[in-house]
Amino acid sequence: MSAPRTVLFPLAFAASAALLAGCTAAPEPALEPVSGGTLVYATGDAEPGCLDPHVGGNYPQALISTQYIESLVSKNSDGEIIPWLATEWTESDDGLTWDFTLRDDVNFTDGTPFDAEAVKVNVEHLKDPATASSTGYLAVGKIDGIDAVEPDHVRFTLSAPDSALLESFSQPWVGIQSPTALEREQAVNCESPVGTGPFVISDWVKQQSITLERNENYNSAPDDAQHTGPALLDSLEWRFIPDAATRYAALQSGDVDVIDNAQPNNISSATSDSGIEELNAPRPGASNRIELNSGKAPFDDIRVREAFIRAADVTPGIESLFFGTAERSFSVLSSVEPAGVSSPDAFTTDADAAKTLLDDAGWDTIDSDGYRTKDGERLSLVFPVSTNQSIPAEQSLFEQIQASAKDVGFEVTLQPTDLSSWYGALFTNEYNLVSAPYTKVGADVLRILYHSDSIIPAPSGYYANLAQLSDPALDQILTEASQTSNEAERQSLYAEAQSIIVDGFYVLPLYDQQNHYLYSTSVEGFRALPTVSAPTFYDAWLNK
Amino acid sequence: MTDTSVAPLTGNSSSPAARMRTLGWLARRVGGGIFVLWMVATVIFFALRLIPGDPIDAILGGPGSQASAEAVEQIRSDYGLDQPLIVQYFLAMGKLAVADFGTSYALKVPVAPYVLTQLWSTLVLTIASLVAAWAFALGLTLATSGRGRAARSIGSGLELLAAAVPHFWLASLLIILLSNTLHWLPPISVPGPLGLVLPVLTLALPLTGFLGQVMRESLANAYEQPFVLSARARGESEWGVRLRHVLRHAALPGISLSGWAFGSLLSGAVVVETIFARPGLGRTLLSAVTIRDIPVVTAVALLSALTFILMTIATDAIDRIVDPRVTKVGEQ
Repeated sequence: MSAPRTVLFPLAFAASAALLAGCTAAPEPALEPVSGGTLVYATGDAEPGCLDPHVGGNYPQALISTQYIESLVSKNSDGEIIPWLATEWTESDDGLTWDFTLRDDVNFTDGTPFDAEAVKVNVEHLKDPATASSTGYLAVGKIDGIDAVEPDHVRFTLSAPDSALLESFSQPWVGIQSPTALEREQAVNCESPVGTGPFVISDWVKQQSITLERNENYNSAPDDAQHTGPALLDSLEWRFIPDAATRYAALQSGDVDVIDNAQPNNISSATSDSGIEELNAPRPGASNRIELNSGKAPFDDIRVREAFIRAADVTPGIESLFFGTAERSFSVLSSVEPAGVSSPDAFTTDADAAKTLLDDAGWDTIDSDGYRTKDGERLSLVFPVSTNQSIPAEQSLFEQIQASAKDVGFEVTLQPTDLSSWYGALFTNEYNLVSAPYTKVGADVLRILYHSDSIIPAPSGYYANLAQLSDPALDQILTEASQTSNEAERQSLYAEAQSIIVDGFYVLPLYDQQNHYLYSTSVEGFRALPTVSAPTFYDAWLNK
Repeated sequence: MTDTSVAPLTGNSSSPAARMRTLGWLARRVGGGIFVLWMVATVIFFALRLIPGDPIDAILGGPGSQASAEAVEQIRSDYGLDQPLIVQYFLAMGKLAVADFGTSYALKVPVAPYVLTQLWSTLVLTIASLVAAWAFALGLTLATSGRGRAARSIGSGLELLAAAVPHFWLASLLIILLSNTLHWLPPISVPGPLGLVLPVLTLALPLTGFLGQVMRESLANAYEQPFVLSARARGESEWGVRLRHVLRHAALPGISLSGWAFGSLLSGAVVVETIFARPGLGRTLLSAVTIRDIPVVTAVALLSALTFILMTIATDAIDRIVDPRVTKVGEQ
């Protein structure tokens, strides 16, 4: 351990401890970090089929690949893009050419040097249909040409200006892997992808765990890390424990050190357990929200949409079902997105107003079951619920919304299904209400979710604009925002876009996409990377 | 497995005719087993295509994939998903007939070796549970039968309670009691025998209830038989009567039930493996069904069916050995 590091550590870790403890804790005495040991992490997310996040590209892959694959840029806790594998970048005046300067002293863990050629191979890998990339493929969609000008200089030529390019590059799904490793068969690379990260995959016992060993030559920590050089832990054990109650029990018993996907009741009881701490790291992109399908009756009528939003009493349900662990959101965007606008006034509850609106819209007769009708047809709403995505507390919240909507005469039919059937219902337009999480770095997520182009299904049948919002004025604002690199202008365009979405009553925001970690107090220096809030164990150490 | 159980049977048979009957019995069982496997494969094939969701999604990283048209097209032809359904069916059956299970959509690895490694873990769990359930049930019935009314009622009550308890509830209870309160056992499955205790208890206790109930009744009947009276008259001790004479009768329905019990353990494994984070067929099946990983679902279903069939044949064979009357009845 070098001399400057020993001096820096106590300061840095005291600072991070104070941050993590929040405002309640008294300043703790600075702790001297200890190197060594194995940290056991237990995830409730699905076991990835492939550990290469280019293939497909979902959140479970992002969680683990953050430990061994790094991106060109990262994001700090203020939401600013910071250097990582790229040190500097410039955008041409027309926004069509981007030049990135790369670090010239970094090697992949198989010894291959990181350089412009490697970046080129990675973007090409994402674009190759054989890779079957979904998330990363979208992120590099506007990149037309890649030129390895010099070993430490790569140039991208774009088909249209892309103000979200840096945000896209910060995502784990666009992480940079060893070009040597990528040459192997996909099945092999899926088992043992090679990056530049602080840990290296050493073993994968399916359905059980993945073991990661420390990368002894690591030298590419992002600027906001607390130290430099290799990680402090000898190794990480990444366990798959699908059952939330078991996961929490394993944390309590000390069999694991950190768990993700902590449920509200466990978070609540953990606050009274002196041995367990919580890290609340909402995911970026969109908030968790209910989309109102404006593409078909009855929500093609703005009055009926408004009536539903006035009728749905959300806040008391969140307070009681989430034990104070989730805060009501009044924004389409996650609270970690600086461009997010909160509009509490737009989402007030008023059952009488809802009834008047329904009367005006022609739903003015009431049948024997207490539901409103129009021309003999009942005011019915189909709400498919994915039991893989909606936790039990959220499903109960939907039931409460169902009950409050009934009071004004809506019949809401909740259809709990597994993920594939849920997508099936969406793809065949058999829904009026739906809650679909969407994680992406940056406010450009609005373009993906609400631009009318996103109603056109992808070849798999998928489309992101589930509110089926089609408004040429909004389309224009979102396109303009995605092409302007002036930050102030961009923010005001996104604010304008959000007001169109909110004022049109297309969306009922609930809360941030919940992402709570619980960890043993013996774990120090653990944080979530601000990009997509995946955990990082580079600075972590065990105070046992 | 079948060979070893057949050997003593044929040895017991006195005539070539009896031997032929035994072989005929075996042939019918094997033929029936193959037919069942084929039906399972057919039902799985069509069921997985009738439910919503495209297998393409599983290959492209889960539902909601936004892969390009080129990627989707390439996958469709690579996996033969562009063929008519009936062609896909015969292609699939042809491959299964030669034990070619293909490649997992999600894991991109050959299915057969992957599923076989998971089978081992499930077999350890289910067989240990079956043995434990037998031991508990025998102990409980032998200890409480033939005694006073109170002992019988307590034993019978415990069995009813155990049989009625759902796995997920029992698992949570055991975790709270033995892991979080007493700190005796880990709440998650760890390598080694210690990690096996809670999963096995969860599966074995309800089965103990079923087995115990059935055995208790036939045990009570056996006590009424004249041979028990004559054994007692010979001066046989109470435990001698139970172990040497009554047990054999009492065990018969238990043995017949074990084939079914093994099947129920396999389905119970889905819950238990998920709760205790234990690798195995049940968990593999659950995650594969969720993402429509058709080759894995097919392989797990066939392997479970095969294990179940073999187990049923084995229990029938044991039944024939323990109770010669079964074969005698067949001869009449």
